[in-house]
Amino acid sequence: MKPRRLEATDLARIAVFTAIVAVLGLPGGLSVFGSVPITAQTLGVMLAGAVLGPWRGALSMVVLLILVAIGLPLLSGGRGGLGVFVGPSAGYLLGWVVGAFVIGLIVHGGPRLTRWRTILGVLVGGIVVIYAFGIPIQSLVTRLPLGPTALQSLVFLPGDLLKAAIAAAITMTLARAYPRAFRRQEAGSQIPVTASAQVTSDGERPAESIR
Amino acid sequence: MLSLYRPGHGLLHRLPTGRKALLLMLVVLGLSFLPSTYWAAGLAWVVAVLGYLLGGLGLSELWRQLIAVRWLIGITLLAQLIFMPLEAAAANSSRVVAAILLAGLLVLTTRLTDLLAAVERGLAPLARLGIDPERMALLLAVTITTVPVLARLGAGVREAQRARGARGGLATFVVPFLVVSLKHADELGEALSARGVQ
Repeated sequence: MKPRRLEATDLARIAVFTAIVAVLGLPGGLSVFGSVPITAQTLGVMLAGAVLGPWRGALSMVVLLILVAIGLPLLSGGRGGLGVFVGPSAGYLLGWVVGAFVIGLIVHGGPRLTRWRTILGVLVGGIVVIYAFGIPIQSLVTRLPLGPTALQSLVFLPGDLLKAAIAAAITMTLARAYPRAFRRQEAGSQIPVTASAQVTSDGERPAESIR
Repeated sequence: MLSLYRPGHGLLHRLPTGRKALLLMLVVLGLSFLPSTYWAAGLAWVVAVLGYLLGGLGLSELWRQLIAVRWLIGITLLAQLIFMPLEAAAANSSRVVAAILLAGLLVLTTRLTDLLAAVERGLAPLARLGIDPERMALLLAVTITTVPVLARLGAGVREAQRARGARGGLATFVVPFLVVSLKHADELGEALSARGVQ
């Protein structure tokens, strides 16, 4: 499976999803459950994979990391620069790329978008994969053994589970509210969102086809 | 677009981008081999302070950078103190913070345009993998201009919801924000096509 040549439509979507992840990291009182502030950026990572699919989703994360590396303050809290790639969270950032890819593979892995596959995708790609990269590298950087490091990262698990649930719900809602988002270009390596694709001329498809 | 660049005429400001990145990465790599002892902790801080002084940024900038990562320092130090002996905790935290501070020197002393140019030069070998480096450069440039546009669209969505008295939950913000963002993506794609991007 090789990525096809990047067309203007794809390029625009990848750029927009990179920007979405950046905007979700902006301060502005995004909070869940009253006063507990959580960064919504991993939500954006999950959505990028779920909506764009594996290759485009991963590419949008690569673009984000390149822009962060050259100093744009796009990570939550206005962080940016090469420093984040030598700090304890470096592995989680790398995990975003692979995570978005895995989410895309799972969510777009079937003939149509289904609720259970979306949930599975965001859990495996958005949590398991990201932690699988994040925890060992954090342990390596801080020289704290793997066990305590994993224990430490458990603090973020409830928030991430919540974000996975929200990401799955949003993906299903988006498929109804803006089905064009999931439209695949013809003759690509991507599988169409619907097998029975009753895709109308402008790429819209009826909401009933979504399970 | 907001950048982290601090203008100046220090030693690091004058170094070519590629060589500066390589130098800083070598210093950071060197730090990562330091043992977990008190003298290594001291050495890490000395290197970080020297880096900021030689870079012409001064200690006030070093302090600003420290404040920016205070949460990370706190969380790292806390976990280290719980699970490790005092000496290792101090050394490991110092080493991590010094590495972050030193790596941060690159964007503090290099203009965004210079860094972007360096990245584009670095992308050139991708052509052999069948990836068009010019298309990647275009993608980076388009993304940089898209971030402020979406920040504005997001603020607009939030304002509209506030005006209707809607509660600001995450999902209630994200769905309309995604829809306006994706509409923008479609327009952006058409605009690119109209300008001859296939």
